[in-house]
Formats: sequence, C-alpha cells, structure tokens
Amino acid sequence: MGLREALRRIGTRHPAVLLAVHPGGTKTRLAVEAGLRRRGWPVAASPAAASGLLVVGSGGAGAGEWTDALWRQLPYPKSRSAVTEAEGVETALDGLLRTLTAPAGAGVAGHVGPGEGEARGRLRAGPGGHGAHDAHAAHLPHAGPVAGLPMAERADDRDGLRLDRLHLPLGPGLADWPAGLVLDVALQGDVVQHAEVRITAPAAEELPYWDEPWLRAARGEEVGRGAAHRRCCAAHLDSIARLLAVSGWPDPAARARRLRDAVLDGAPGQEWGAELGRLGRRVRRSRLLRELTAGLGALPGARARRFGVTGPALAADGDAYDRLLTWLDEAALCAAGVDDDRPLAPHGQHDKQGPRGRLDGPRPPSQALLDALPGLLRGAEFTSARVIVASLDPDLDELAVAAHG
Amino acid sequence: MADTAPVWAVVLLPFALAAAAVLVAGFDAVLAAAAEGGRPGRPLRAAPAPLRAGLRLLGQQPRRTTAGDPWLGRIGIALVPVAAVLAGAVLPWGFRAVTDPVVGVVWFNAMEALAWAAVWLAGWGPNSALSLVGGYRFLAQGLAYELPHMLALTTAALGAESLRVGEVVAGQRGLWFAVWMPVAFAVFLLSALAMAFWGPFDHPLGRDAAGGAAAEYAGVDRLVLLAGRWLLLVVTAGFSVPLFLGGGHGPWLPAWAWTLLKTAAVLGLLVAGRRLLPTLRMERYVEFAWTVLVPLTLLQALAVAIVVLER
Repeated sequence: MGLREALRRIGTRHPAVLLAVHPGGTKTRLAVEAGLRRRGWPVAASPAAASGLLVVGSGGAGAGEWTDALWRQLPYPKSRSAVTEAEGVETALDGLLRTLTAPAGAGVAGHVGPGEGEARGRLRAGPGGHGAHDAHAAHLPHAGPVAGLPMAERADDRDGLRLDRLHLPLGPGLADWPAGLVLDVALQGDVVQHAEVRITAPAAEELPYWDEPWLRAARGEEVGRGAAHRRCCAAHLDSIARLLAVSGWPDPAARARRLRDAVLDGAPGQEWGAELGRLGRRVRRSRLLRELTAGLGALPGARARRFGVTGPALAADGDAYDRLLTWLDEAALCAAGVDDDRPLAPHGQHDKQGPRGRLDGPRPPSQALLDALPGLLRGAEFTSARVIVASLDPDLDELAVAAHG
Repeated sequence: MADTAPVWAVVLLPFALAAAAVLVAGFDAVLAAAAEGGRPGRPLRAAPAPLRAGLRLLGQQPRRTTAGDPWLGRIGIALVPVAAVLAGAVLPWGFRAVTDPVVGVVWFNAMEALAWAAVWLAGWGPNSALSLVGGYRFLAQGLAYELPHMLALTTAALGAESLRVGEVVAGQRGLWFAVWMPVAFAVFLLSALAMAFWGPFDHPLGRDAAGGAAAEYAGVDRLVLLAGRWLLLVVTAGFSVPLFLGGGHGPWLPAWAWTLLKTAAVLGLLVAGRRLLPTLRMERYVEFAWTVLVPLTLLQALAVAIVVLER
C-alpha cells in the first residue's frame, strides 16, 4: 500500500486544472494563470482532462449552475476550489492540491452536487455546454428521443442537401474563450449554420478590468497615461495569446501571456520592450499563420462601423489576421508610452479609447463586437468559428457598465 | 536482407518503444516548460512530467458518457498503441527486425492506416459533438496527407527494388536515400507527424475543440490513447531511418547505435520543429498536399524510376 500511496501522490502533485471563469473575473483569472505557470500545472482543455476545477470570479444569480455541471463531468479523484480575489490564488491552488493528495479514502473534495457520480458527457459542446438539447427537445418532427436524448434534426445545408443539424451551446467553459459568453450554434457536420449570442451578465460590482484606467479618469480620478498604456498593452497581449492558442501555436501564446504578466507587474519598459518586438516579428514572419487565419471573419470597415465597432477591430478593416496584426501594432504603440506620467485627460479625444474601442459611446465597445459576431460565424467551420471569436475577443466584463450606466 | 531477431525481441519491442516514447515526451515537456518560462532556468525539472501525468491517469476513474458506445470507443483507443507496436515489428534495429516480411513497407503502411480507424472510432464512441468533430478531423487529415505519403513510401521501395524493409536498408549501403530522394524524405517526415496526429497536425486532438477525439476520455482510456500517440510518433519517425537514412549503416559505431542515433535525431527534429508552427487545418492543407506535394512526389518517383532503370 505504501508504494501505491507514494505513486498516487507523485501523480497528483501537478494536477491539471480546469478554469471556470465568471464574467468580471478578469483580474483574478490573470493571477490564476500566472500562479499555474509558476507551479508548472497544466491548464486542462476539458473536464475529462482535469483533476481540479477552479471557479474564478463570482457570478451573479444562477451562475453556479454551469460550474456544477462542469464539476459533475470531472473524473474522480477530483478537487474543487473557488477564488474571487487575485490575492486568494495561492490559497485556492494549495487547497486544490491538499484535497487531491489527501490519503485515499479521505473522500473527494469539495462540494457534492446533485446527480453526483453519474457522468453526464452527453452530446454537448464540450466543457460547460450543458443542457444542449433542453431548448430544442420539444419540436422534433422525425425521431423520438434515444436514451433520453433527442436525435439531431435535419435541415438544408449550403449545398442543398438535407443533413443532420445539431444545436449546441459553445461555452461558457471553453479554454481561451471570453468569460460569460455562450454561443448557441446550429451545426451541420462541423459547419456553423446559425449562431446566437447568449450573455451571462457580469455581477456589476467593479469596473471592467481592461477599461479601468479610462473609466476612472472619466469619473474624474487622476490616472496616469502610462498606467493606461500599460493596461492597453496587456489587454492586447491577452487577446493575442488567446488567438494564438486557439490557432494551435502554444509557444508564442505562452510568450504573449508571460509578457502580459510582466507588463501588468509594472516591470520597466526596457525589460520587456525588446521581447515584445521579438514576439511581434515572429508572429508576422509566420506565413503559415497568415495562410491559416486569412479570410476568416472578414469585417470591412464600413460594415464594422454599421455595427458601431470602434477600436482595433475597426482599424484592422479586414479579417482575423488583420486584427491580430492590429493588436500587435497597438501593443507596440502602447508599450512605447508606458513611461508617460502625464495624467489621462477625461475629455481628450484620444484618451477615451480603451483596448476594445471608444468608451464614451452609447454602448460598451464589446457590445458592438458581439452584435457583429453571429453574421461572421455563419458558414464558418468549427475551428474557424473559434478563431473568429478569438480574433474579436469581446470582453463581457464591459457589459456591466452598460447595465449600470 | 536483414536477419530476423530472436523471439525475445517480440517481448522486448513494446517496452523499448514505450521507453523511447517516454524519453521523447519528456523532451517535449522540457521544451514546453522552457516556452512557458514559469520558473526561469529550471525547465529540465519538467522532464518527468509525462510519467507523472501517466500515474495521475492510472489512478483516475474512467468516465462514461450518456448514450455513448464505450466499447466502440475503447476499441478505437486500444488500436492506437496496437497499430504502433505492430508497425514497429518491421522496424530494423541495426539490421535485425522482429520480422522482415517480403511486403514490409506495405505492412507498415497498413498499420498506419489502422490508426485512421482508431482515432475515428475513439471520436465516435462517446456520443459527444466535440469528440466527433475531432474524429472526423482525422479522416480529413488522412485524405490530405496519405496520398503523398504513399508515394513517398513507394519511392523508397522503388529505389531498393523491393518492398522488404531489410532490402531497402541494404540498398543504401553506399548512399542514403535521403540524399537522392530529398522530396520523398521530406514528405515522409511530414506524414510521420500527420500519422501520429502530432503537431502541427494535432488538429484531431485540438485544444480549440476541448481536446477533440480525446475530449471525453479520462483515466486509463486517456492514458492508452495519448501514450499510443507517442508510440506512433516514435515508430513512424523511426521508420524514416531504414527507409531514407541508411538504417544501421555508418562508420565506427555498431549498427544498433547508428539506428538509435538517427532515430533520436529525427525525433528531436520533429518534436522541436512542432514548436515553430501553428496547427495546420486540413481544409487549407489539403490544397497544398494535392496541388504541390502530390506532383512533387510523382516527379520524385519518376526520377528514381529512371535512375533504377538505367542502373
């Protein structure tokens, strides 16, 4: 028994952790990602691959439902922990590990939800895509349920054939996915026929993390331009990291994340400026990345303006690849200004531009991105859809501001 | 012609392949840790990560999904390492393989094709949309890479005028095939990656689809699938040595050492090279494969055929 116990402990010392991020939890998420990197723990892409579930941020009413569903899908032995403040990350991670390495028989960790033990990986959009069929179960013309699940219905596809059509929710628990976003998609094969955006509104207690400096300045607080530039640079690096990760290029994605954390830590510009340049050159040099992302989610300027898009997505005036390049450009521009200690002018023309667009418009910039999204997804293949979402990277934290005006 | 190894080699083969797979996975983990840069200067500590992950999976409860077909999925999963080991049987160590049938090259290719079925079944089994997407991605991948791959295999066999692996090795006594069949060699390396659905051909298990074909597997199921993938990578990369790099031929060192060195070099190249490239999507790669690689490999085969006829 001693040997088995020892092997079990070795095996669980670096658990794979699945992150369930609630909207509004950006700051905590960044701290969690940095903490996991320090410990060398992998971030799991699906519940099946994870040993620990870490719920990040605090959701509003009913937000526990999808995290409970995720938790039920984790295989035993498993452990669950929650963190709402960036300061609590180390404690939460230690907590995860403690339960996992506890002697066998000490029980599984955390919270035991209803329906525990019954693995429920039914036809669903991966992690978090629970209740895939509930909404569509009622009106199926040609088939009854099989094993309690409805069959896929059929519809005309783009070539005029009648093919199975499957309704799935994508999100909210996917890796490298905007927190709080759920896309209800109808898939034929792996082609998105139709997509609708469903939003989990963030609990509006704090200012959205990425827009914080500009919004505080608009409220009349004194915010340095350098701090705003730092935040903008880090926001773009975060988006770049997600897009690269979704494109299956983990190395530069990890580099972008590391840079992002260095920028936010307040490290002086000369420490990471050169590294940022190298990352930009490496990404630009990749012809393959261009081949793979060019033409996806084309959003010409005129159309973007119609949706009210401002910021990088408008400036890019093109497809996913153009948006990536725009982020790289703007990140470099912002990096050049981090040592600017003049205050941000609340009424200056250029000082109302957050990482995702103008913050003084009638709606938060991410709302415009979300409005543009379904049209861009129609007809996209599954991966392309993921790339398109990542290339817009709407920040649902911003919607809290809209709710509160 | 190569000798057939003694019977104990049959028992040894899976273990030797597994040991090689663990080493390669460890090397990859070190590279990944260096890229992550979590603890500066200590990426080497990540080397045992694959073993740790294996232990973790061994102690984990397998998962079942609603209305899934667990046996279909498990057959698929089990076929991955089985295909790898069976393909490894014709792999000569030095000049000795576990078996050296007259149609060794075809046998190897057939075992590789088994992996198609394996991944597709593994993706189909759990009745889960993302894992099915992953399974189908591998079929699309097969359509894209298999044609140039088979032409590359054919070219090597043509150069040796035999489908027996031992004779392909013997045919390279003076000059490695890689030297005068560079296109076939390069295409074979590409398809070795594709065969093992290892990056940049890792789309079937893509992170964007929450792990694709592997999305729903936990515990031993997951371990067998992922370990089988490393075995496949080792075997396909290892097969480039007898096919194109002269097998055990080389000065000073014994034949087995040359095989080992060359295999290690190819594996190192493939694993390190993966980090330079984003994941290839087959709906874009297939165009390149059919309009560029197929004609190139055909020309290569033509050139080799002319040389062989003139010989």
